[in-house]
Amino acid sequence: MQTTNDVTFGVTDPIFEIRNASVTFDMERGTSRVMDSVDMNIQRGEILGVVGESGSGKSMFASALLDAIPDPGQLSGEITFRPESGEEIELLQQSESEIKQIRWEEIAMVFQGAMSSFNPTMTIGDHFEETLDVHGYDVDDGMERGRDLLSELYLEPEQVLHSYPHELSGGMQQRALLAMSLLLDPEVLVMDEPTAALDLLMQRSIIELIRKIGQQRDLTIVFITHDLPLVANLADRLGVLYAFEFVEVGPANDVLTGSKHPYTRALLNSTPNLHTPREEMRPIEGKSPDPVSVPDGCTYHPRCPMSDDNCVAADPPFQAGSGATDHQAKCHYIDDVNEAVPLNLREVHNE
Amino acid sequence: MRYFVKRVGQSLLTIVSVVVFTFVMIRQMPGGPLAYIRAQVMQSRGADSIDMAELSKLSVDYMNYSVNDPIHVQLFNYTAQILQGDLGRSFNYGEPVGEIILKSAPWTIFLLTISIILTFAIGILLGAVMAYQEGERFDTAWTGVSMFLNSVPYFVAALLFVYVFAIQLSWFPASGNVASNLDSALTPQYVSSVLYHATLPIASLVLTGFGGIALGMRGNAIKEIGEEYIRVAHLRGVPGRRIAIRYVGRNAVLPLYTQFMISVGFMFGGSVILEQIFAYPGLGYYLLEGINARDYPLMMGIFIVITVAVVACILFADLTYGMIDPRVSDEASREAY
Amino acid sequence: MSDKNTTFNSVGGSGAERDRQPSKADLYRERLDIFVLTPLRVMWSDWRTRTGGLIILAYVFVGVVGVHLIEPAQTGGPRLIGPLQNMQYPLGTNNLGEGLLAKVVHATPPMLKMVVSGAVFSTALATVVGTVSGYKGGYTDTVLTTISDIAMTIPGLPLVILFLVVFEPSNPFFIGVILSINAWAGLARTIRSQVLELRDQSYIEASRIMDVSLHRIIVDDILPNIMPYVLISFVNTGRGVIFGSVALFYIGVLNVPFSNWGIMLNRAYSTGGALYSWSSLYWIITPMAAIVVLSLGLVLFSQGTERLFNPRIRARHAESIEETGPTTGD
Repeated sequence: MQTTNDVTFGVTDPIFEIRNASVTFDMERGTSRVMDSVDMNIQRGEILGVVGESGSGKSMFASALLDAIPDPGQLSGEITFRPESGEEIELLQQSESEIKQIRWEEIAMVFQGAMSSFNPTMTIGDHFEETLDVHGYDVDDGMERGRDLLSELYLEPEQVLHSYPHELSGGMQQRALLAMSLLLDPEVLVMDEPTAALDLLMQRSIIELIRKIGQQRDLTIVFITHDLPLVANLADRLGVLYAFEFVEVGPANDVLTGSKHPYTRALLNSTPNLHTPREEMRPIEGKSPDPVSVPDGCTYHPRCPMSDDNCVAADPPFQAGSGATDHQAKCHYIDDVNEAVPLNLREVHNE
Repeated sequence: MRYFVKRVGQSLLTIVSVVVFTFVMIRQMPGGPLAYIRAQVMQSRGADSIDMAELSKLSVDYMNYSVNDPIHVQLFNYTAQILQGDLGRSFNYGEPVGEIILKSAPWTIFLLTISIILTFAIGILLGAVMAYQEGERFDTAWTGVSMFLNSVPYFVAALLFVYVFAIQLSWFPASGNVASNLDSALTPQYVSSVLYHATLPIASLVLTGFGGIALGMRGNAIKEIGEEYIRVAHLRGVPGRRIAIRYVGRNAVLPLYTQFMISVGFMFGGSVILEQIFAYPGLGYYLLEGINARDYPLMMGIFIVITVAVVACILFADLTYGMIDPRVSDEASREAY
Repeated sequence: MSDKNTTFNSVGGSGAERDRQPSKADLYRERLDIFVLTPLRVMWSDWRTRTGGLIILAYVFVGVVGVHLIEPAQTGGPRLIGPLQNMQYPLGTNNLGEGLLAKVVHATPPMLKMVVSGAVFSTALATVVGTVSGYKGGYTDTVLTTISDIAMTIPGLPLVILFLVVFEPSNPFFIGVILSINAWAGLARTIRSQVLELRDQSYIEASRIMDVSLHRIIVDDILPNIMPYVLISFVNTGRGVIFGSVALFYIGVLNVPFSNWGIMLNRAYSTGGALYSWSSLYWIITPMAAIVVLSLGLVLFSQGTERLFNPRIRARHAESIEETGPTTGD
C-alpha cells in the first residue's frame, strides 16, 4: 500500500521511529481500523504537535507510543524507541514486565481530563508515593523531586500532596498530574488533549509551563489536540491526522502558513480567529470517515474540492512537491493546493 | 464540625419525635388510656371497681404519667421519664419494660450483627468477582441467582427452612435461642447451642439479603473498572492486585453504605417477624407479645428502643463515613450550607 | 399528563417566546414518543423488564379477570387433597377443604389494591416533597429534609404495626397506605438531589428569568428527568407492600375479612400437626410461590428499568427525535 519513499521528514536524531503502525478492533460489523499504517519520526527534544478532529485516531496514536492500546485493540507494525543512553528498544517486542518499566520511567503520559486520572479516594501524595514505590525508586528522594516539580508548576507542594483530587481546581489537578508524569524523570511525555477541560486562560498558562519544563529537561513532548491554534504556539513540528493516518507533517510554521494538504487548509479556515472575517470562516463539509470502511484512494477525496478520478483510484504517498523535504503531505496535487484552497488566515502568532 | 452538630441534633430530634409519637398513639388507642388501665387492672385483680387516686398512681407506675394531669403535663412527664431511661412497666409481665429489654436486646443484636456481617461479606465478595467476570458464565449465572434470592422475602425463607430443616429433617431446632437445660455461661456447650439455634434465623436473613448487595457491588465495581484512573494506574505500573483492592474494591464498596444504612433499619424492623417465626426471645418477639396482649407500655418501650438503636447505628455510620470516603466529606459540607 | 395543555396556555408574560410554538399535534406526538413509546421500546428490548412486565401483567390479569373465572373458596370440600389429584381443586385443598387455587386467586385483588395504593401514595408524596424541597430551597427545604430524614430513620415495620394496631383498618387501599407510611422518604431525598442538580442548569435558569410559573417548570422540565427514579421506586415500594402485608397477615397483626397469601401460610403453620409429613409441602409452597413470583417480576422490572438511566441506550431506541448532527466520539 505504501510506496517506498522518504518518511524521515528530515528528522536527524529520532527518539521514536514508527513504521507501518496500525490499530484494529474486531467489531460485529467488520474490522475497525482506528490507526492505519502510520509512519512517523519524532526528533529528540522536540515538541511535536499532533492535530486532528475527534475520531481521527489521535488518542490511538498517543496510546500506541506507550504500547497501551485498550483491550481488545490490536497494535501491529514497528515502534522503535531510542533512549538517550542504552540500546534501542522495539516497543512491541517487549514483555509485559519490560514494558511496565519503560512506561512512566522513560515514556510518561498525561490524559485528557486530569480529574479522572486520579483515584478519588487517594490523596495526590498517595499517588506520588505509589508511583515511586511500584517502580522501585527511593520514596524520600522521589517525593523531594515531586515537591520541587510542584513548586515549579506554581503549586504549594505540601497542600497539594495532602489534598484529595476533588479538593483541587481543574487547573491545579492538571498541574499535579503533569508533576506526577515527570516524577520518574522520563525522556518522553505524551499528552493527549491535556487542556481540553480547562478554560482558555488556564490553557494558555499550562501551555507556557509545558514549554518551560520541556526546555529545562530536554524532554521530548508529543502534544495531541484538536485545537490547532493552541498547539501552533507550542509545537516545533506539526503532524495532521485525518482518517486514522497522518496527511501532512512539517515544521509548525510551514504547516500553518503554507499547508500543503487541502484538509489542513480546510481545518485552518474553519478555525475561529480574531482576524478572520466571519463570512470567510467555513466549516468542513461532510463527515469524518467511519473506521470500518475508510474511502478507497485518498481518504479525503469525498470531502475534497480538488478531488478527481485519480484521487479515488490511488492513495497518494507522502511527498514534498517543489518544497523542502521536511514538509510533506499526502496529496497528488501538492503543488496546486495553494491556489485551489486559499487560506483566509492573515496572521499567525508565533513568538 | 457543623455537620456533626447537625446530624447529632437531627438524631435527637428523631428520638424525641418518636417518643411524642408513641404518646399520641397511646392516646389514640380505642377507649383511651384511662379505660385501658382500668380494664387491665380489673382483669388482673378480678376487682369490680377502682378509685381514681389509685388509677392515677398506677398510670404513673406503668405509663410514666398521671391520667389526672392536664395533657401537656402528661406529655412532658412521659417524655422526660422515657428520655431518662424509665420505660414504664409491662402489664403482661408485671416487670419494668427496661428489664425485659435488657434481657432480650442482646439476642436480637447478636442475631442481626452476624447476619449483617455475613450478608455484606458474601455480597461484596461475590459482586466483585462477578464484576471482574462480567459477561462470562459465572457472572450471568450468579446475576440470575442473586436476583431470584433478592425476590424471596426473608420470612418466606424462614418458613421454608422451618418446614424443611426443623420439622421434616429435624436438623435444627424450630424455636428458642438456647437449649433450656444449659446455664448461661461461656462454656463451649452453651456457645455451640446458641449458634445452633441461631443458624436458621441467620440463614434466612443472609440468603435472602446477599443477592441485593452482590448486585449493587457488581454494578459499582463495573463502573469503577471503566474509570479513566484505573487505566492510568495500570500505565503507572500499579500491580493488578493492588488496583483490584485499593482502587476498584474500595471505591465500589464505599457507596454500599446507603444500602448498609437501609439494611440495619430493615433487619431491626424485620426481627418482629423473624423472631416470631423462630420463637426467638429477642426484642421483636417481645414487641409482638406486647402487641398481641395490647400491652402498651411494653410495645411502645420496645418500639422506642428499636428506633434509638437504628438512629444510633445510622448516626455512627454517617459520622464515620466521611473519614473513610473522602468523596463525601465534600458532599456533606455542600449539604450543610 | 392531561393538564399539560392548560399549563401550556396559561403561561403569562413574554408572548414572543411562544412564537416558535409547534403545532399541538406535533407536540403531543413528540411527548407520546418521549414519555411512552421510547420507554416501552427500551423496556421490551431488555429481557428483565420484558419478563418482569409480563409477570406483573399476569397477576393483574388474575386479579381482574381470574376472580370471575374461579369461584371463591368454600369450606366443606374434601380435605387435604394433594395438587393435581382432583381437577376441581387443581392445587389441592387445605384442612378445611378449601381449594388452594381459589384462595390464591382471590387473594390477588386486595393485594393489588394494597400495592397500588401504597405505591401511588408514597411516590406522589415523595415527588411533591422532593421537588418542592429541592426547588424552593431555604427554610422550606430544611423543614422538609428534616422530616424526610426522620421518616427514613424510623424502622418501617414496627411503625406500621403500631399504626395498624391503633387504627385497625380494614380497607385494602388504606392498609396499603399505612404499609408504605415511611417508604416515601428515600425517594424524596433522591428527587431532591436530582432537582438541586437540575435547578441550576441553564434551561431552567432561563425559565426562571422568563418568569414561568413554578408549576410549569416542574411539569415540563423537572418531572421528565426524575421519571426513572420514580418508576423504580414505585415498583420497589410495591414490593415492600407485598412483603409487609404478607408478613403482617402471617403474624396475625392484620385482622381483616379478605384473604391473603400470608393468612394461607399462617393457617398451614398454625394447624397443629398439619405439617409433619412431606406430603403437606404443596400447602405452603403454593402461597410462597405466589409471593416469590410476583416479587421476582417486580425485581426484574426495576432492575431492567435502571437501563432507562443510560441515555445512550435510550437514544438508540428514540426514532422520531431529529438527528443532532454528526457527533463522533474518540
